Amino acid sequence: MFKMLDGNTSAVEAMKLARVKVIAAYPITPQSTISEKLSEIVANGEMDAKYIRVESEHTAMSACIGAALTGSRAGTATSSNGLALMNEMIVAASGIRAPIVMPVVNRAIATPWSLWCEHMDTMSQRDLGWMQFFTQNCQDVLDYTIAAYKIAENKDIMTPAMVCLDGFFLSHSMQKIDVPAQEKVDEFLPEYELTNSYLNPEDPMFVSNVVGMNDYTEVKYQQKYAMDNAFGVIENVFDEFEKQFGRKLNIIEEYKTEDADVVLVCMGSMTGTVKYVVDIMREQGKKVGMIKIVVFRPFPYKYIYEVLKDKKVIGVFDRNSCLGGQYPPVCTEVIAAMKGADADIRDYVGGLGGRDVNPANIEKIFNELLDIYNGSSDKHTNWIDLKENPMDSREVFKYV
Amino acid sequence: MIKLKFYGLGGQGVVTASKILSTAVSLHEGRYAITVPSYGYERRGAPVNTSIVVDDIPVLVNCFVYEPDIVVVFDASIIDKNVNISEGIHKDSILVLNTEKASVLDKYSKFGFKEIYFADGTEIAHDVTGVAVPNGSMMGVLAKTGVVGIESAEKAVEEVFGKKVGELNAKAARKAYEATKKM
Repeated sequence: MFKMLDGNTSAVEAMKLARVKVIAAYPITPQSTISEKLSEIVANGEMDAKYIRVESEHTAMSACIGAALTGSRAGTATSSNGLALMNEMIVAASGIRAPIVMPVVNRAIATPWSLWCEHMDTMSQRDLGWMQFFTQNCQDVLDYTIAAYKIAENKDIMTPAMVCLDGFFLSHSMQKIDVPAQEKVDEFLPEYELTNSYLNPEDPMFVSNVVGMNDYTEVKYQQKYAMDNAFGVIENVFDEFEKQFGRKLNIIEEYKTEDADVVLVCMGSMTGTVKYVVDIMREQGKKVGMIKIVVFRPFPYKYIYEVLKDKKVIGVFDRNSCLGGQYPPVCTEVIAAMKGADADIRDYVGGLGGRDVNPANIEKIFNELLDIYNGSSDKHTNWIDLKENPMDSREVFKYV
Repeated sequence: MIKLKFYGLGGQGVVTASKILSTAVSLHEGRYAITVPSYGYERRGAPVNTSIVVDDIPVLVNCFVYEPDIVVVFDASIIDKNVNISEGIHKDSILVLNTEKASVLDKYSKFGFKEIYFADGTEIAHDVTGVAVPNGSMMGVLAKTGVVGIESAEKAVEEVFGKKVGELNAKAARKAYEATKKM
């Protein structure tokens, strides 16, 4: 059934369809309508769940971990500073193998204060043992969230997952969404079952105890093992999803890459705009293509290599500033994936703090990459949407 | 593909209006639309805008509208608040304006729009619904441009506002549709 939903409501629909039984969430812009809508539908009986009011995101995640260990499918959602405050419990959740699925509405972390989109919040959590899925549109939000439960709760994985949606560009963008029937989701997603570690007074055990140096490395390796082997499970779940709901999900999505001279790799809502620009430039006879990375953790390096192995010029667009790093995170990963291949890989940064990633800038990137490909230039504009004279920006106001 | 930009003041329901339009074309005309609201540090009364893209095929582009085909102005005073409503317009761009005042129309006629569709949406909303919020009524004026059918707009108004308030606002949309003039 088609409904008009924004990204936040798509996330709520997915959590409802997944029959999440315990919700603990704290509102933060631009995630707030997820917390609000969930509390509303729990209060009016539309959703059969326990809603725990908490005083912070740290507690929200703590409550979800506890709930997950008692055998309830648990859910929360956050954004930006909320995710930063949750940080300690993010690591607890993955280490304890609580397969929580959490929509994260991407927003810059203060300071400077910004309410708007960038990927810094989830990027700062990328190595903490959670899977991360990045979405292009509101349909993606619904679909990947539903699929994420099945992946996260798989007995060979038991790893939490963030479903990342761009603040405002998705969270508050109304789109036409194909919402599956509850019975179809019930067939796809079995009830959550506890395995291995759990909280049960009849059968007490230590959970999250101190692990000495004799065992810690091996316990960490078990998490690595789950991550490294997740792709097989992800592929199976995506296949099942397509059979059940008729929509194809992707680990990475190639867009007109096959004969492309240059390819831009990117994630999130900008991937829609990039496809739009690719179509326009193709009409002009310019051979450009795109890779949309959906699964960023675990990083699909083999999939990326397979598509890009013969490409000579590749651009990577990061919506994250990555201060002090040689390359921002997505680009770093792509360079690592392409080790041994003969590719000139260029890093682009933009769309920070909600700055719009518009067709003009994408076209500029493709033209730069084509010039590099043709040998007519060797330059690329690293910070693609930086204004002139950036050092003069943001005067300090005094005596006001 | 039709690109629209809605300008108004915080509290006038500009974002809700974009939901109405996208619902109308997506659920009642088998087409597609996305809205990209431009949220700032809004408070009631501050200028706001939102972008909408309508197409017969799924909309890929997901960013603000820079070259609008249709500009809708929910409050004519917005041009006195440092907002350039003609930014990015081209020779075929159309304006939909909430006014019937000759002096206001005269000011807006200088922006170079190809056509202006206008009615006093605030007055009509006040008459019909008792509330001077023009987002429902202006959907009727917008329908006159042909971007959306008036029947679909009425249905979407009812859905977005809910039955009781929706019916009144749908009436306001129809009344504004019939009252719309063009210059």
